[in-house]
Amino acid sequence: MLETIALLTIISPFIGAILTVLVPKEAAKWVCQLFAGIASFGAIALAVTFLSGPEPSVTYSLLSIGQIEIFGLMVDKVSTLITVAVVVLGFLVSIYSLGYMTEGNREHPHTGQPRYYAFLLVFIGAMAGLVLSSTILGQLFFFEVTGACSWSLIGYYQSPKSLKSALKALLVTHVASIGLFIAAAYLFKETGTFAVTAIAGLDDSTKTIVFLGVLFAAWGKSAQLPLHVWLPDAMSAPTPVSAYLHAASMVKVGVYIFARAIMSGGEIPEIVGVIGVVGATITLIYGFVMYLPQKDLKRLLAYSTITQLSYIFLALSLSIFGSQMALDGAITYIFNHAFAKSLFFLVAGALSYSVGTRMLPQLKGIIKTSPLLAVGFCVAALAITGVPPFSGFFSKFPLFAAGFELSATHSWLMPIMILALIESVASFGWILYWFGKSVVGEPSDVVAKAKPIPTSMKFVLVILIIMSLCSSFIAANWLV
Amino acid sequence: MSPTEILLLLMVVPFVAAMISFLALRGGEATRKFAIGCHSLSMVLIMILSLTVAGSVFIDGPIQALDNWLYIDGLSALFLSVLGVVSFLTGMYSIGYIGHEYKHGELSGTKVALYYGLFNLFIATMLLAVSSNNVIMMWVAIEATTICSVFLVGLYGQRSSLEAAWKYIIICSVGLAFGLFGSILTYSNAAAVFADPANAIFWTDIHQNAKALDPTLVHISFIFVLIGFGTKVGLFPMHAWLPDAHSEAPSPVSALLSAGLLNCALLVILRYYIITVKAIGPDFPETLMLVFGFMSVAVSAFFIITQHDIKRKLAYHSVENMGLITLAIALGPIGVIAGLMHVINHSLAKTLMFCGAGNILLKYGTRDITVVKGILKVAPMTGILVAIGALALGGVPPFSMFVSEFLMVTAAISEDMPFFTLALLSLLAIVLGGLAHMVACCVMGDKPDEIEKGELSFMTIAPMVVIVGLIVIMGTFIPNQVLHGIDRAALVLLDSDEPTVINILNLPGIVQPTEMLATKPTLAQK
Amino acid sequence: MTGDILINSLSGLLIITSVMLIGSRKAKSSAMLYSVQSFVLVLTFLAIAKSVDAEQLYHWSITAFITKVIALPALFYYAFSKMSDPKADKPVIHFGWIIPIAGVITMASFMAVESVQLPLVEHLKPALAVSLGHFFLGLLCIVSQRNILKQLFGYCLMENGSSLSLALLANKAPGLVEVGITTDAVFAVLFMVILARQIYFKLNTLDVNQLTSLKG
Repeated sequence: MLETIALLTIISPFIGAILTVLVPKEAAKWVCQLFAGIASFGAIALAVTFLSGPEPSVTYSLLSIGQIEIFGLMVDKVSTLITVAVVVLGFLVSIYSLGYMTEGNREHPHTGQPRYYAFLLVFIGAMAGLVLSSTILGQLFFFEVTGACSWSLIGYYQSPKSLKSALKALLVTHVASIGLFIAAAYLFKETGTFAVTAIAGLDDSTKTIVFLGVLFAAWGKSAQLPLHVWLPDAMSAPTPVSAYLHAASMVKVGVYIFARAIMSGGEIPEIVGVIGVVGATITLIYGFVMYLPQKDLKRLLAYSTITQLSYIFLALSLSIFGSQMALDGAITYIFNHAFAKSLFFLVAGALSYSVGTRMLPQLKGIIKTSPLLAVGFCVAALAITGVPPFSGFFSKFPLFAAGFELSATHSWLMPIMILALIESVASFGWILYWFGKSVVGEPSDVVAKAKPIPTSMKFVLVILIIMSLCSSFIAANWLV
Repeated sequence: MSPTEILLLLMVVPFVAAMISFLALRGGEATRKFAIGCHSLSMVLIMILSLTVAGSVFIDGPIQALDNWLYIDGLSALFLSVLGVVSFLTGMYSIGYIGHEYKHGELSGTKVALYYGLFNLFIATMLLAVSSNNVIMMWVAIEATTICSVFLVGLYGQRSSLEAAWKYIIICSVGLAFGLFGSILTYSNAAAVFADPANAIFWTDIHQNAKALDPTLVHISFIFVLIGFGTKVGLFPMHAWLPDAHSEAPSPVSALLSAGLLNCALLVILRYYIITVKAIGPDFPETLMLVFGFMSVAVSAFFIITQHDIKRKLAYHSVENMGLITLAIALGPIGVIAGLMHVINHSLAKTLMFCGAGNILLKYGTRDITVVKGILKVAPMTGILVAIGALALGGVPPFSMFVSEFLMVTAAISEDMPFFTLALLSLLAIVLGGLAHMVACCVMGDKPDEIEKGELSFMTIAPMVVIVGLIVIMGTFIPNQVLHGIDRAALVLLDSDEPTVINILNLPGIVQPTEMLATKPTLAQK
Repeated sequence: MTGDILINSLSGLLIITSVMLIGSRKAKSSAMLYSVQSFVLVLTFLAIAKSVDAEQLYHWSITAFITKVIALPALFYYAFSKMSDPKADKPVIHFGWIIPIAGVITMASFMAVESVQLPLVEHLKPALAVSLGHFFLGLLCIVSQRNILKQLFGYCLMENGSSLSLALLANKAPGLVEVGITTDAVFAVLFMVILARQIYFKLNTLDVNQLTSLKG
């Protein structure tokens, strides 16, 4: 039963994608909605069925040669939770695109082509496949599929600049995938299987190599220094794509595979944790510094995503030192950030749609003309920066709690945690600064002439505002 | 019919079709139409017959014919089936491509008949090369492929195509002279030590008695064979003919050169490789294969990104992939599987891409990526298929080259070569970049005003769609028959008597996943 | 024993004729020289055939005489009288260099065959070395010439080298093999001449340096 639902969730978007290209142009977007809907239904059904079942974790082997497991599904609490996030957000983004990808869009008047919807569907399917995969080879497979999809989605507008950014994204993440190639090969060499769970059986030196490989791949997809270069440029993608790829799905591939490896890794050499912490800290500081000169709301969000992912890496690395709280925090963080950052991106998209610009200095007094966007902006900002009772707080808090607890035994963690805390407060201040400048006050000329946004976009924004409040409660209840 | 008879029939079919086309050289429109009909029939038969022969070899073991002159074992059966499928696809595509050229007056009626005649003759020589057991005949057949295809390369009769044809015949003949010397050395070596010198000419006999050969001569002859037939495979630094010939030939011929001919020459090298490994051990031949393979990959990767000509890019990509296969063979049992799988995958994907490049050429009249823009808007189907083909060649899943390239990485790591693996993966990343850049330049962008919108004929699109289906299947759920075939071929190449190649992989004991879960309470179990 | 000496000295003569062939400036005289060199080769075959009493080799000598001493030189002679490009006759490498390079090649070949253990060629190692050396002399011929027709002689020299080693090492081989090799080589040369003709009439040159429209 679980197996069938999981397969349905993975395969239905791919079937939808093929149909999207084949049906007449006008029908394409509706086919996309239908299949994204089916996949979301599948993801939720999978979660519900799983939670009501007795097993803590189920693995299905789907493809194996001899005793070598090539591809399989792993259904457990973490994978079901993240599947819901990536698939449902994909559905929401495709609904949002109905309104955004039209001639009425002020910044980009353009009707969405069938290939836009097709690639969106492929992306949803690939994400579900990656999250549910039980083997490193499966992860690598979908890792590369998402890379190719992101290439066509980022370059969707076909301007030379966007094509260049698309190529950059493809290549940087492909170079990162080398880590996963190496990790999978070493795992196979030592254990004769590709199952992620086999990592636990490795000796220390091989395990370190495998983990560093996974970490390198994760850095690439999750845009950490020095492989972050693709993400800010990728903002030339259509905004719904940015919301999905650069908040909910693609950038989460990295942290998810790292988390998956940690969960299956048994005793992990501490050196991996140390490298993870150091990498996360450097990116954290870099990301914050890069906030300051940004005038484009989307680029600001891109750097914010980079730092938020560093927090997740920090939490995951801390969990290597033995903190279960940090691991739970990290998973919750992935879930919460997906919704909150998608909301933020979609608010930015809605601003481009109605105002025609997303340059911060030109945006003033949004609250007067479109209260919903102002509320969305506010909720997203508070959720991202971690102000209670919004979701961000509940994922940041366990991270700091675990970090300070661990610093009792690992004293070098103390200055790093303090640094992270300072960054957290400072970024809150910086986003609040732009919030004050752009949301409240008298509307600027462009904002005053804002046009209303379509219902489909409003609907999605409302749902995401609600989710930004409650996602952490869902995650917390789920993981208990 | 017995498999032996089918094999003989397979040899005869393209030869007859070629003769009919040559007879139509002076004939009118109607005779030419008849010749094209015979060509289609011949292509269909070649595919069916070669797959039948290969299938029976995979199940019932090797067959031989004509007093041991022809011999098909698992290895050559694999190459034979790839050749059969590729011939069919390119043969069908030819009808669309050459038909278009004839309609637009680029080729005269005589040249069309000549084309189909040479095309069939070329396939006939390749079939002979694949199924030959006589080491001298192997060389004769490979040399004959050069002679048959050289006029196909120079078919357009323009300055550049004549120049390409000249380079092709000179470099390949000279290269193959090395191959001949290597073949003769091996043969003479065997003749000198065998009780009955008459049998020394058969590969099967040399192979059986390989241990008796003189080691010095085996060393020398392997070097000569590798250089000689390596020229035809397109290994660096003997590859100089390849980009020219591939780019100047009509596209279906480019596809057949790249996906058919290179494999045939590679098979000959593999035949000698098997003998050499048995005679003097694996160290020397493996090192040579590794060095030549890696150099080919490294050099061609940089040429791929610097070329502006679509077909030259693809040609260098063939050099790269032949290098990959060559080095994979030297990487132990997993590498052998990877290499053989790559033979299939590369042939399919490269056929797809050359057909795509052919459509672009017909539509735009140029192969320059700085001129070709907006294929997606001009001919959407071609655009999509070319984009898919480029990604597939770059090793992106769910297309099949990902699988074989991944296996190569696994093989290299299993042989404890981490830095080699890293270098290889970096080169592959460069190649992917080159191909993706090509798609971004050509497929995307705005439509030039002067180009008319619309697809070419059905016959130029249909073979490509079929290939996309095949590479997706090969990249996700590889059919058991294919796996079985690769298994048989790998056993021949590894010279092993085991029932399946899995037994020689030396895999560590499979640890039960449940045991591992127990080592640490994971989040999921809490 | 005398047979071995004869074979070895004939093969020495082969080296000399090929160096002359490489060095000759005039196209038609090189066609003659090729005929002479092939004739020496046929004599070598006969000497081998006599010394080891190989009947097949006698047959092969006849084929070789017809194809290499008469047919191919005639083809070349005809081709040279139809096509000429004086600008292309100047060699890339000066004759003064050809001789020392040929010397180095011969020395290297002698060293390479030193460790061969086959009893069959125990006394014929110089001849075996010549057959190997011929190969690289052929290569030298190709790189040292600018005239594409004269480059073809390089291929023919290499082919002669292979024939010699086949005659030395496998003189009991079935005749079909040797005939097959010779025929194939003749066809190859024939097609090359046809192609060269197409190039000559299309591009009006035989100079390889003019064939440079394809690069990279």
